[in-house]
Amino acid sequence: MDKAIIVDHLVKNFEVTEKKPGLKGAIDSILSPKKKTVRALKNISFTIQPGELVGFIGPNGAGKTTTLKILSGLLYPTAGFTSVLGFDPWERKPEFLKEISLVMGQKNQLWWDLPAVETLELNRAIYEIPKKEYEENLNELVALLEVGKLLNIQVRRLSLGQRMRLELVAALLHTPKVLYLDEPTIGLDLIAQQKMRDFIFEYNRRHEATILLTSHNMDDLIDLARRVIVIDDGRILFDGVLEQLVSRFAKEKIIKVSLSREDDIKRIEEIGKVKKVAFPEVILSVPRSTVAVAAAELLQNFPVTDLTIEEIPIEDIIRKVFRGETSLHKKK
Amino acid sequence: MKIAKYLSIFKISFAQEFAYRLNFIMWRVRNVMQIFLVFFLWDTVFSDPGRVLFGYDRAKILTYVFGIMIVKSLVLSARAADVAGDIYRGDIMNHLLKPMSYFKFWFTRDISSKALNLLFAAGEFAILFIILRPPFFLQTDPLALLGFFLFIALAIFIYFNLLFIISSIPFWAPELGWGGQFLVTVIIVEFLSGALFPVDILPQMVQKILLFTPFPYLIFFPIQVYLGKISGTVLLGGLSISLFWAMTLWLVMNFIWNKGLRAYQASGR
Repeated sequence: MDKAIIVDHLVKNFEVTEKKPGLKGAIDSILSPKKKTVRALKNISFTIQPGELVGFIGPNGAGKTTTLKILSGLLYPTAGFTSVLGFDPWERKPEFLKEISLVMGQKNQLWWDLPAVETLELNRAIYEIPKKEYEENLNELVALLEVGKLLNIQVRRLSLGQRMRLELVAALLHTPKVLYLDEPTIGLDLIAQQKMRDFIFEYNRRHEATILLTSHNMDDLIDLARRVIVIDDGRILFDGVLEQLVSRFAKEKIIKVSLSREDDIKRIEEIGKVKKVAFPEVILSVPRSTVAVAAAELLQNFPVTDLTIEEIPIEDIIRKVFRGETSLHKKK
Repeated sequence: MKIAKYLSIFKISFAQEFAYRLNFIMWRVRNVMQIFLVFFLWDTVFSDPGRVLFGYDRAKILTYVFGIMIVKSLVLSARAADVAGDIYRGDIMNHLLKPMSYFKFWFTRDISSKALNLLFAAGEFAILFIILRPPFFLQTDPLALLGFFLFIALAIFIYFNLLFIISSIPFWAPELGWGGQFLVTVIIVEFLSGALFPVDILPQMVQKILLFTPFPYLIFFPIQVYLGKISGTVLLGGLSISLFWAMTLWLVMNFIWNKGLRAYQASGR
């Protein structure tokens, strides 16, 4: 098997009933429901190699979670082809389900009123994990996620961060080959986030697991994902190495100049957008196409002691992606 | 071993029931109160020892009332009543992601819950028996007892399928789940199954029609079989109707769930 995940011309539409506020709206929606088709995924295609860790980014409602749910067999695709480890996810064959796991930051599988260890034992039985393997996996996960002391405490008494780590234990006991993580660090404090990231990195490395991750947390993406897929409004806008995201979406470059005299700053504004002035350094943002001209002009007409041309920081680009302000996105 | 899966589900369900001890006890108290209510109602109606109404005298009706207690805890106390909420909240996703049958998962939880309820019902039964000293009829005919258990098994299966069918409403209309359940379990089932009064006090015409629906086979019929009031061809007739419904509802349930899962939007918190 060469590809872990194949998604080909995938389309997903949702039928939603519109509802207006108030009692009248409620009655109207019962008597004459207005159906609206929401096109959540508009023909997307991509493939993922075994062992790859791919970040899925885009603004809210872009279709990231929908894609993950289709790839887990929870949602029935409207059209298109999907294959995960050679299985059709929708059939939800036991052999398929034993190889995957979907972890959603806002969804719990742990039994709320019981200690987590009860759920883990249940999963052992459901996934038919041999006793010895179960103990090995459990020990490994417990050590990596530092949850040894939490196993016998009622789940509802745990903090969110503690619970999320235990959720991960429950989701990974059967060592899935394909792991979908939907906002795994949502709501966690900085230390817990870092622990979660370290763990995901480690899991990917140790088990050569294919991981598809959605996140609104920039650090998750920068730390973990070498490849990112940008999805917005049900379409894929970008699929490639994280660094290329910058050259693709940044319309501008940054020029940093150091000047020997201060009085020239006013005139610099004619060359580019001045972002910051902290004498002797001035930071300018200039359209990519004219960056060479701008640099030459600066060197010629100003008392420049130093000049560097840089890309816009990746954080800024990702932030733009989250807001749906990417250049390919003409709607707004 | 497939059976080990469901044994584990049985165990965790049992543990879960005990997590809400007080809740569970209140639920049992409610059951006892209901029995008292129905008992005294009929006790008053039949206060004149010689009175016979609809073919029931005091002893028979009181036996029926006690029969309700046991049969109800076997048939109508079903965990699967939570399925609609499971779909509505999106918790069903956790189960669908696992290599197990969702239907069997709930059926196991159901059996687990019934086992617990039966345990308590037996205790309550003993206590109420001592307090109220009702004339109770103990069936000794093994054939009647066998028939009784057969009907109970069918009743459990029928009711479970009914619940699953009703619970599928939120696939299409997430906010209607509770209403549908209330209508079916509380109004239709309680009323038509004989959980409030024996069905044979209704007019002949109504009875005849009712006996073609699945409802009387949930409570009324099993009790009548226990009491030895139904046997022979009537029993076989009832058995075939009951079997017919078990099969039909199972097929309908499967059909609807296949559709429902496709329509499912997997939203939820």
